Amino acid sequence: MTEQDLIEQITKAILDAEGQAGGQTGGQTGGRKEEAGGQTGGRREEAGGRGSAAAERSPDSHPLNPNPYPDSSLTCARIGIGRAGARLRTEDWLRLRADHAAARDAAFLDVPQEFLQRHQLRQVQTRCKDRDEFLTRPDLGRLFPQESKAAIKEINPQPCDVLVYAADGLSSRAVEANAGDCLPILLDGLRQRGLRLGTPFFVKFGRVAAMEEIAELTGAQVVCVLIGERPGLGSPESMSAYMAYAPKPGMPEAGRTVVSNIYAGGVPAVEAGAYLAELLGRIFEAKKSGVEFSNG
Amino acid sequence: MDVGTSTTQVIFSELLLENTGGFYSVPQIAITRKRILYRSPIHPTPLLDECRIDAPALRAIVTEEFRRAGMERVQTGAVIITGESARKENAAAVLEGLSGLAGDFVAAVAGPDLESLIAGQGSGAQALSKERRCRTANFDIGGGTTNIAVFENGEPSGVCCLDIGGRQLRFGPRGELTYLSPSAARLCEAIGLSLPVGQVPAMSALRQLAACMARLLEEAVRPGTGGMLELVRTRGSSTLPPPAPGSLIPVFSGGVADCIYKSGRDPFAFGDFGVLLGEAVRAGGLYANAFRARETIRATVIGAGMYTASLSGSTVSYSRKELFPLKNLPVFSVSPRQQDELFDGVWEETARAYQWFLGQNDAQNAIVWLEGRQNPGYLELRRLAAALAELFRAALPAGQPWLVLTYYDAAKALGLLLQPSGAPVIALDGLRAAPHQFIDLGQPVMHGLAVPVVIKTLMLNGSR
Repeated sequence: MTEQDLIEQITKAILDAEGQAGGQTGGQTGGRKEEAGGQTGGRREEAGGRGSAAAERSPDSHPLNPNPYPDSSLTCARIGIGRAGARLRTEDWLRLRADHAAARDAAFLDVPQEFLQRHQLRQVQTRCKDRDEFLTRPDLGRLFPQESKAAIKEINPQPCDVLVYAADGLSSRAVEANAGDCLPILLDGLRQRGLRLGTPFFVKFGRVAAMEEIAELTGAQVVCVLIGERPGLGSPESMSAYMAYAPKPGMPEAGRTVVSNIYAGGVPAVEAGAYLAELLGRIFEAKKSGVEFSNG
Repeated sequence: MDVGTSTTQVIFSELLLENTGGFYSVPQIAITRKRILYRSPIHPTPLLDECRIDAPALRAIVTEEFRRAGMERVQTGAVIITGESARKENAAAVLEGLSGLAGDFVAAVAGPDLESLIAGQGSGAQALSKERRCRTANFDIGGGTTNIAVFENGEPSGVCCLDIGGRQLRFGPRGELTYLSPSAARLCEAIGLSLPVGQVPAMSALRQLAACMARLLEEAVRPGTGGMLELVRTRGSSTLPPPAPGSLIPVFSGGVADCIYKSGRDPFAFGDFGVLLGEAVRAGGLYANAFRARETIRATVIGAGMYTASLSGSTVSYSRKELFPLKNLPVFSVSPRQQDELFDGVWEETARAYQWFLGQNDAQNAIVWLEGRQNPGYLELRRLAAALAELFRAALPAGQPWLVLTYYDAAKALGLLLQPSGAPVIALDGLRAAPHQFIDLGQPVMHGLAVPVVIKTLMLNGSR
């Protein structure tokens, strides 16, 4: 069962239970409802009063724009969801809480060891001692302690053309959901181009700029990190790829090329991997990345 | 170009392609602007007889329009043959007649259904439905027929064609009736009117007939009494799905649309029924909510211009640029069950079907269309690629390119996974195709990011 299923189930269970107590509420899953509902006890009258607002935007209310609110297939943003009095409707409020919880999980949990073993990714840690330090001290998430430096060198003793690695960043869930499908095809594609590849590994408590020390340690010409994006409310699984040609400590952010939005609702992980392989090949040939590269 | 029963029109337009994906994302090439550079006058269609097009005369028109528009050459062009001239042999004749003209032309014969769709695109009804997330219905009211297309949130949800139009009745200089079409005669009978040819009809009778036609247009898209619609449905036309509840915005295009919006004309200004029909539609129930069309009489030709310009998804892969352009590729459509088999690595049955299909079409090659899956895993896609490789190896002679089109975003990955086979590969995504369609692939655009695709539906015989 995925987390989304779980959220659906819990929402449904609560709505059902409340429906028995307060009546009126359907245990509808997915999407939003047309009628105002989900109010219990003394507040119900008020909700009923506001319900007329919902009636006002019934399908025939506007001659040219019968449905002024975009349907949920277009966006997962919480717009046009209506209200009950001054508050969100129960279902929307529960979803918000659930999505917030998922976002917190994404940021606070570790990538499971089992996942790293399955994809043969050795773990190295930045200078951050724990999650709290990682979140409060971005500078430490860019640097490695001595033993990690040694480990990185041991994993990649030879200089290579392209080194791809993964880092948790702000969403372990994103790495878990996408890196497994993105990484193998990316490596296939780079191999097809005849590039010398470094051995991928995993950086715990890693920020994007950790690639700078990694490039110094390994002598890789192009470095690419698959890293979890800061989770949004509703997209805890989105991953980005940051790439740079010959990154150096303190390099400007404009020197990095990025492809974001890699997840089931954005660019599928496998397709993104194939695209990244081509992009990295071009960056390697052009000997530049970031704004310079994009401007040709 | 729109080559219709009575008129032929040419437009030239310029399309702006842009990467709308943004700096931080995978590219998304889209047509962001379309500017019409030149609209030709409306020519009478050159005909050899009732329904065969005079190709050399048509070529003369086109050559002349190229000169007047000041166009040296075009990158792509389409000739859409509509109405009574929509016959396969006409398409072949026209293509031959235009061969060697500056640019790559595609000729497609549009049956009543496709014509409805194209007019709905050209009038702006589809764009309106997409922009406002609503339901629109385009009524392209021409001389012989009214082509109706319904769009929901920008997607076509139904098309149909009715024998209702301005030239269903024609009048002589004194106002006497000179022609009454069979479908108009059926309507008269049904509502108890008598309109003998050769006599000057009573104005009240004409208005009654016009009101009846206007009501039928309304009934086609709204729940109504129904029944009489069958009297005027064009042969070979689809039927619209049952009208859904909720509102619908009507859009009017075609020659009669001008008569709807311009009132106070002499009823017989054009010697036909157009003015009266237009007035009746204005008085009817559809008019109140109607949206003013962007294009009226030129809706079909403008729609045809858009028809030439689909783009593939923006992560395509191909082994060599020299493989393009490819023309008239038959579409081999993989069924959902066959697709599941291929994803499981089972390819034999689909390969046999593919081979049979090639034989039936007497084709060297055919593009394999499958929907794909929304978010496939790496291993899943690798199994699919391996199965496709076996299928192509079994069915195609060596040296023929392997052509795959999917709907879901997977072309880059599929291309990459098929590449080690050594065969030339073209993998595209982002488009839907269907059996009995043909596909043209143009030269890649925007530094090779996307490929222009024309999906053609050829009507195989004169179903009218």
